[in-house]
Amino acid sequence: MDDMEDDTTIFSTLKSFKSLISCPERSLLETEPAYGRSDLQKLYTKRVELEEAAERVRSHTSLLQLTQEKQQMELSHKRARIELEKEAHSSSRDLQREIDRNRELLLKIRRLEEREEKANQALNEQMENNKTLKRNLEELNKKANEKDSKLAEADQMISELKDETRRLSQQIQIQESKFSTQNLEIQALQEQLDVQRKKFQDVTQRYQNLQSSHCSSTESELKMKELERRLTLQEQDSVIVKNMKSEVARLPELEREIKRLREENSFLRETKENNSLLKEETEGLRRKLERMEKVMEEKLKVELEKEKLEHELQAWENIGQSTGLNIRKPEDLSREVIQIQQRELNLKQQNYTLNSSIRSVEKAQAEILPEIAQLRAKAQEEQKKRENQDSLVRRLQKRVLLLTKERDGMRAILESYDSELATSEYSPQLMLRAKEAEEMLQKVQTHNTEMETQLSKAQEEAGTFKLQAQMVTAELEALKEQQVSNAEKNTLATAEEVSSLRQKIEELEAERQQLEEQNNILEMRLERHNLQGDYDPVKTKVIHFQMNPTSIAKQQRTEEVEQLKVECQRLRERLRKIEASGGMTTDDTTIIIPPSQEILDLRKQMESAELKNQRLKEVFQKKIQEFRTACYVLTGYQIDITVENQYRLTSVYAEHMEDSLLFKSSGPVGSGSMQLLETDFSRTLTGLVDLHLFHQKSIPVFLSAVTIELFSRQTVT
Amino acid sequence: MSKTLKGITLKGSAELVAEFFSFGINSILYQRGIYPAETFTRVTQYDMSLHMTTDAKLKNYLTNVISQLKEWLFDCTVQKLVVVITCLETNEVLERWQFDIECDKTAKESSAPREKSIKAIQEEIRSVIRQITATVTFLPLLETACAFDLLIYTDKDLEVPEQWEESGPQLIDQSEEVRLRSFTTSIHKVKSMVAYKRTNSV
Repeated sequence: MDDMEDDTTIFSTLKSFKSLISCPERSLLETEPAYGRSDLQKLYTKRVELEEAAERVRSHTSLLQLTQEKQQMELSHKRARIELEKEAHSSSRDLQREIDRNRELLLKIRRLEEREEKANQALNEQMENNKTLKRNLEELNKKANEKDSKLAEADQMISELKDETRRLSQQIQIQESKFSTQNLEIQALQEQLDVQRKKFQDVTQRYQNLQSSHCSSTESELKMKELERRLTLQEQDSVIVKNMKSEVARLPELEREIKRLREENSFLRETKENNSLLKEETEGLRRKLERMEKVMEEKLKVELEKEKLEHELQAWENIGQSTGLNIRKPEDLSREVIQIQQRELNLKQQNYTLNSSIRSVEKAQAEILPEIAQLRAKAQEEQKKRENQDSLVRRLQKRVLLLTKERDGMRAILESYDSELATSEYSPQLMLRAKEAEEMLQKVQTHNTEMETQLSKAQEEAGTFKLQAQMVTAELEALKEQQVSNAEKNTLATAEEVSSLRQKIEELEAERQQLEEQNNILEMRLERHNLQGDYDPVKTKVIHFQMNPTSIAKQQRTEEVEQLKVECQRLRERLRKIEASGGMTTDDTTIIIPPSQEILDLRKQMESAELKNQRLKEVFQKKIQEFRTACYVLTGYQIDITVENQYRLTSVYAEHMEDSLLFKSSGPVGSGSMQLLETDFSRTLTGLVDLHLFHQKSIPVFLSAVTIELFSRQTVT
Repeated sequence: MSKTLKGITLKGSAELVAEFFSFGINSILYQRGIYPAETFTRVTQYDMSLHMTTDAKLKNYLTNVISQLKEWLFDCTVQKLVVVITCLETNEVLERWQFDIECDKTAKESSAPREKSIKAIQEEIRSVIRQITATVTFLPLLETACAFDLLIYTDKDLEVPEQWEESGPQLIDQSEEVRLRSFTTSIHKVKSMVAYKRTNSV
């Protein structure tokens, strides 16, 4: 197929080439008539066409080649595709297989993982079991240990209790021995008691005898004393009787004296009344006397006055004669006096009026003086004015003269000019000169007037000054006149007044200084008092809050003090009660401290412990006594512990109280080895000692031998 | 604030003075040890650290007195405030802190505020309180338990309020007086001084 295709393509290309080649010829032929140009151009165009055809052919061939290649490529592609598809199929099959394998492997893995987990769980559980078992083991171990420890403790307790029992048994034994010894002692004491009772009875009898004798003696003594007392009384009575007799003898005399005294009493009472009356009379008389004396004095005075009045009367009567005023009666005198008084009044009135007129005149004079001065001043002014006006007049006259002279001059000049009025050229110059001259004139005139005004002003000022000076001189003269008039009156007084005024000034200054000092001192004091807090009760008052801290503190203090006092009293009462009762406190004075629970518990424990102790002691005592009595009765020996580790044995059948055997425990406590010590009694038993202790080395045998010996002695004797 | 920023009115001046007394009395109580130091707390006032009591009863008493004093300052009827320190055992007066108050009564008629800067007043108050603290150096020690009282000198015709009563001036027997600084708000002038019992040098 391909080859065929290739051939066809080759044929087709050949055909086309041929067609192409043919075409250019036609085209060449066809194009000849069209152009009438040169052959070169035709050649060129032909060449170009040929080249273009060649190029077309080339391109065709390339195209064909390319298409061939393309077809080959497509074929190869197809083949490759087919192969690839085959490969893809195979690979897909491989894939599937592998996927299946994967799945299987995954399943296996999952199963294995599950197994692993289970195994782990089982492990964990077993671990936990292990742990719990271990814990249980530990706990059991602990319990075992505890039990061991408890067992050990219990063993210890048991051993301790055993020790205690041993000790207690020992104590019991000791106390039993004590009890036996004490019983022996009691018996001995009882015997002594009997003996002594007998003695006592004898003694009591003797004592009673003695007492009876004493009583009798005392009775006799008492009787003696009574008799003596009676004796003394009787002696006193006899003495009294004697006195009484003497006194009785005096009785009648006394009665007489009584009568006399009564009479005197009555007499004296009467005289007393008379005395009082007489005293009143004397007082009345005295007063009268005094009055009379006063009256006498007044009388004397009155007589003197009377004489004086008579003298005066005579003088008055003489006056009338001496003055010759036809006076015979006092009425005339009074008339004269009245007349004189009236004349006096009139004269006084005249005096007053004269004085007032003088004063008015003086006032008028005083008023007039300044008026005079004013008038003088005015006159001087008038004079001045007149002088000024005269001067003015003179000036004016001078001016007039000057003016007339000027006028004349001017007239002369005008005339001269009028006479010389030919030239016209000179007229302006002349006019100018004339004008200048006029101006000069005017200036001069103005200058003159100014000078004159200045002069007039100066003269006026001078005039005013003169007026003032004259006025001042006038015033001075008036003052001098006044001073002269005053000085004529008070020439002497001024010096005195000045000196007195100076003294007053000095005194006042001294007072002022003193007052200033006092003022300063008082101000200092005021300041000081103000600083200290003083105040003026009229203007200020001091207030404070009622519930202020000081008052509150004071209240608290007093309350505290009272509380302390109450407590003190309570404590004192309690003390007294304690001392009185001897240790036991009653309820109302005990300190009310609520006891804490611990203290109560402890107290209860203490009490219970004490009770236990007491009970134990009683029990022990009883037991010991019982034991000792049993020992004594059964063994026949009373065993006492006199000194530590020494035991004294006294036999029931001992002849004397002091016969005793002493044993000392040698060796460790509880071993029981004893040694016999030397006593008086043991010396008497040397044979037995040698036999039983040294040879046989048995103490019980020895003791029993001793009891047998003693028993035999007793029964025999 | 009742005092305007520009000047001092009568009410503002009364408030300033009452405030000064509140802090001053607390300082005196702390410095002289009338109350234990742990009952005081520190506050800031007048640009310095001052002590104020925390005891409720004492606070109540002080507020009562100071509020009444403020009214009287506004009426210009109070002349002096005195802190009297008494020994409890012997009932003797040991110290007197006296503050003289001069009131310008023309401020009552005219309501125009006066020109004085609050800073200047506070500066003056600060120096007074500092001086009070410094006086502790020369005052004799108060060794016994003491209590204090506040006395107020007023005009005679003033009506005594309910919880107040008249009392004596509680002067010291033999006293030494020392004048301290003063300050003025241009309406009220407060002069301070302390008088203490002369100790017989052994």
